[in-house]
Amino acid sequence: MNANEGTLEIARCEACLARFLPADGPCPRCGAVGVVTFPVPGLGKVLAATELLVPPPGVPAPHRLAIVEIAEGVRLLASTDEPLPTRGTLVSVRKDGEIYRARADPAAAG
Amino acid sequence: MTVHVASVGIARFGKRAEGLIDLAAEAAGPALEGVGRKPIDLLVAGTMLSHGPHGPEPILPRLAGRLGLESASGFRVEATSATGAMAFHAAVLALESGRFSRALVIAAEKMTDRPTPEITAELTAALHPSEVAAGATMPGLAAMVTQRYLERHGLAPDVIDLGSVHARAMAVDNPMAQFHKAVSREEVATSRPVALPLRLLHCSAISDGAAAMVLERGPGAASVLGIGQGFESLRLVDRPDLTTFAATRLAARIAYESAKITRKEIEVAEVHDAFAPLGIVHLEDLGVCGLGEGPSWFEKGWVARDGRLPVNPSGGLLGRGHPVGVSGLVAIAEVALQLRGEAGARSVARLPKVGLSQSMAGLGSQSFVTILGSAES
Repeated sequence: MNANEGTLEIARCEACLARFLPADGPCPRCGAVGVVTFPVPGLGKVLAATELLVPPPGVPAPHRLAIVEIAEGVRLLASTDEPLPTRGTLVSVRKDGEIYRARADPAAAG
Repeated sequence: MTVHVASVGIARFGKRAEGLIDLAAEAAGPALEGVGRKPIDLLVAGTMLSHGPHGPEPILPRLAGRLGLESASGFRVEATSATGAMAFHAAVLALESGRFSRALVIAAEKMTDRPTPEITAELTAALHPSEVAAGATMPGLAAMVTQRYLERHGLAPDVIDLGSVHARAMAVDNPMAQFHKAVSREEVATSRPVALPLRLLHCSAISDGAAAMVLERGPGAASVLGIGQGFESLRLVDRPDLTTFAATRLAARIAYESAKITRKEIEVAEVHDAFAPLGIVHLEDLGVCGLGEGPSWFEKGWVARDGRLPVNPSGGLLGRGHPVGVSGLVAIAEVALQLRGEAGARSVARLPKVGLSQSMAGLGSQSFVTILGSAES
């Protein structure tokens, strides 16, 4: 694990015990607002990625999105400015306002 | 108590000059005529998009006034792209309760009169807020599902082109469809990329349209043999398996059980091919074929009108066009037309006794399966 990496906040829903991010909203599974949060390393593995050539209004094209697994069964949707990562690529993830940004993990690459 | 589809009406899909209520009335007309204008005591209507300046247009009182249904009870339902299927299921349950005797079900959508970005934004609202914040779109998420599906089963990316070619070939014979021009594999493969591996011709189109049907109590050629629904997490990232739709698998299991039939008895199917690869995956989730085997059914022509199981002989969402709230109802209507021998040029080779329709909300957060058949079967 790269000591320089940041951390991400994960939430555990007090109602249904689902773990999820972003941690600052109601549970995406059951809608409960009561959650417990805890930090995890901002590192994960890419499960799938695509490049949107027709992104939503206001988002510049191409818009690259990746599903990243942060912990077992806990995944997020991140955007990336780098070439489209392939499945299994290790990435570092940071939160930037409302969204997550992923980049190839230099420690893994080295 | 058995319920059957007594009549069907469809307002042609595509870019239409008429308004929402006009399209709904256009579809309702033949449905009401089909039962000799007998009295309707239940109106169930659905539309997904907001049409009024301040949100949802009050469609029920307008439809009741337009169609002379002031004394009917009315319910409005919404389940994004499965709205029409939900309307049908609601009407079936109401009739089965014995409280009502004849229902008019209507789904209508008007999409082409507004700028595409505005429509896209409303469609995207069916996703989870965190997906919207990440800049996701429905095709973008469907692209990742497709990628995982292809990888898991070791399939070549171009197998999904078969879904588009099939749908557009079927739609040529459907006068109510938006598209009447067949496309080749090469045309699909070279169409504009939207979110790879998805290209323009893998994606269903924005469309206006409406469908209606009258349901009555009692058996008929298109009786409701079984219905089933299922849910799965709204957010794609929370699903353990991205290569299959759990909501459809649940809905199918419940529908087969309630109809007391097996998948082998299905003789025609209309599935929710909002994107070409999804039409393929649905066959697997419905148990028609094994996981990863869907593409071979298209390759071998088993989904053709004279094939082992005709799939989307109407052209499906890809060929018909996808007026979002209507697709779920018109899919059931098409199965009813096939069973009643009223599908015209799009009729399957052998008059079917049992047919299935599948629709889903969003990218599979809720799925609906409906099995129709002659009541004796």
